[in-house]
Amino acid sequence: MGEIVSARALMGISLGFHIIYSTIGVGLPLLLMLAEWRSLRTGDETYHQLARRWIRPAGVLFAIGAVSGTILSFELGFLWPRFMAFSGPLIGLAFSMEGFAFFTEAIFLALYIYGARRLSRGMLFFCTIPLTLASAVSAAFVISANAWMNTPAGFSIVNGALADIHPLRAFANPAWAHEAVHGTLAAYVATGFAVAGVSAAALLRGRDRAVNTCALNLSLAVATVCLPLMLISGDWAATTLAVQQKPKLAAMEALFVTTRGAPLVVAGWPDPASGKVLYGIEIPKLLSFLAHRDLDSVVEGLDAFPPGTTPDPRLVHPFFDLMVGSAFIMIGAAAWFWWLRWRRRDIAQDTWLLRTLLFASPFGMIALESGWLVTEFGRQPWIAQGHMRVAEGVTTQTGIGLVLFTFLMVYLALTAGLLWLLFRPAAAGKGLETAAEGRHGNS
Amino acid sequence: MGTLENLAGGAVFLGLVMYAVFGGADFGGGIWTALASGPRARQQRDSLFHAIGPVWETNHVWLIFVVVTLFTCFPTGFSALFTVLLVPIVVALIGINFRGAAFAFRHFGSQRGEHIPFVAGIFAISSILTPFALGMAVTASVTGKIILVGGQAHAAPWFWLSPFTLVGGLVGMAVCAYLAPIYMTVRTTGELQGDFRLRGMIAAWTLGILTTAEVPVAMMEAPVFAGRLMGSEAALCVSLAVIFGITTQILLWRRRFLWAQVCAAGTVAMTLAGFAAAVFPDFLVGQLALAAAAAPHATLVAYFIILVVGTVILVPSLLFLYLTFRGEPDTELPR
Repeated sequence: MGEIVSARALMGISLGFHIIYSTIGVGLPLLLMLAEWRSLRTGDETYHQLARRWIRPAGVLFAIGAVSGTILSFELGFLWPRFMAFSGPLIGLAFSMEGFAFFTEAIFLALYIYGARRLSRGMLFFCTIPLTLASAVSAAFVISANAWMNTPAGFSIVNGALADIHPLRAFANPAWAHEAVHGTLAAYVATGFAVAGVSAAALLRGRDRAVNTCALNLSLAVATVCLPLMLISGDWAATTLAVQQKPKLAAMEALFVTTRGAPLVVAGWPDPASGKVLYGIEIPKLLSFLAHRDLDSVVEGLDAFPPGTTPDPRLVHPFFDLMVGSAFIMIGAAAWFWWLRWRRRDIAQDTWLLRTLLFASPFGMIALESGWLVTEFGRQPWIAQGHMRVAEGVTTQTGIGLVLFTFLMVYLALTAGLLWLLFRPAAAGKGLETAAEGRHGNS
Repeated sequence: MGTLENLAGGAVFLGLVMYAVFGGADFGGGIWTALASGPRARQQRDSLFHAIGPVWETNHVWLIFVVVTLFTCFPTGFSALFTVLLVPIVVALIGINFRGAAFAFRHFGSQRGEHIPFVAGIFAISSILTPFALGMAVTASVTGKIILVGGQAHAAPWFWLSPFTLVGGLVGMAVCAYLAPIYMTVRTTGELQGDFRLRGMIAAWTLGILTTAEVPVAMMEAPVFAGRLMGSEAALCVSLAVIFGITTQILLWRRRFLWAQVCAAGTVAMTLAGFAAAVFPDFLVGQLALAAAAAPHATLVAYFIILVVGTVILVPSLLFLYLTFRGEPDTELPR
């Protein structure tokens, strides 16, 4: 029992950690590409300077994303060997494709970062195109593996062994399309808002107005285009869940009892003992409408499934609300920004707008992490929905608690180091002098 | 011979060779950063650092390629290995993690004109730790001490710790320490080039002695593997490795650095080929055949389609990368 909890905790912490870095690894290339493109197109050097300024954090974050991703690929083996023995022939292909996409990413990121004095400006821009494409498809590929865990497809079981394998069906499993679209958009929104927050903070301190205003325009443009698409893809996900993953939808909405004309419950605490949601706000019939496009349709509650096969709504519903709530906070902040810009107000001087953007900036990541928790907790107790329970997939080795402790220390050290590096005041001259020149910063 | 299982085994082998030949050199850079000495110690460290910078992340992906190929094409074998080799794998992983992070941090720090000796120290230590632990894990997998019962892997708790695997760990380190300075001879000039030339020659002797020492230990600890090592294919690969190694020394002596670099990579590739030939046709020596460990046919077919498409994208990109950063390391850091 202890081993399962340790294994789940370690996997969860590793993924939660990795998601932040990989999200930036997907989102930042798009911003780099757009900035370089704009700079080439208009001859405005500010956008190029902006992009070159981003490469330092991009390099560090991408490197940590790469190593934390390596930890994950190893953890698949040493935490869940029995699950991988079962599912490897099916989800392994998604990881193989992701591997090639990631390879392409690493190559073109290295060219972009280190190539400044070896490649032309046009070539630098060119490098951002495969970088952006590869990072987006690598997200879509790796999400396929997660989607397969939710809606396993492309095989049958004969005498307890895999048979009749269709790799393409396993890859393009029923949950893949909406998960991939929603997840990739989420990465763009989260990165957009993270960048907007950093730029807003710099403007509040009165630093580099031109560059940081460009950064706000670009990052919020990307986020603003993606936010409505997120709502649409979220709705697509909900209607699909209503057919494919009914227990997950029931846990997300904290619907204990199968109901005709089911209400949507906002906020509140699901109480399994009483089968009610305490302190929630009910909007009549909205859940039925969202799930089946019919105000009086029946939505299955948690009671429709055998006991012990459904997730705990206390771990799912609050995160679902957090995800949706975060989206609305970001929509509000973005709307205010564009309103002020439309009114031709000086964004860089508007302290309250900048403070709002700074406040809203972590909500992209919060939404992404909580959305991921909804997906994962919402699948419990299954590691492969309907086929293998988490307890059946875990390693037979003991001592996972110690491994958990070890990696906790590793992540703490990495995070501390990263924060130390990113938030130290820059050396004189914006840190562009090199060690080779013999000048030392304010260390 | 040309069955899909064997081809998939070949893909794992090629991935390992690429990781050893490229990623190994990066670890070697870390090892020689720790061992930098003489009047030009600082230049040695700096040139190693600049050479690895643009390529380490790409080189690191070969490891992910190996792991992913293992669990896609050999799920049963992967599951067994990762169950019983938990400890060395975790140690290697921690090393990989700190090395990557330390490298990124150091790059970031040096751009700010700061020196971070603590981070540089972590970079060096993890560069030593990782190939050692990986060498142990790889050699432990051929001891024949991993038993499969009903699809579940079992082994004695500390089976991965023995004279055989310890020497295996040292060989892992020596491979890295051998490649890095020889590659550096192509990227440096003058006295610095001489430093790396000498270090390459010393490392070559170390590697030769350690791999030779592994044979008698293998006879005691991994008899089946040792027996196959004497078989014709493995012996051919080992002989080629020796020939490549001696040729490398001669070329270093005669200062033909570009060809020495190629031959050094050949030495490592042939050493690994000898190892792989002694494992073949098994996945776990004496316990699990490649064919029995392999994924179903449809998966293997799909894997090879992905491999071909991926290679078509990857090879030109890799060539572009290595050609762009060839030659003198650019001491001017990115703008």
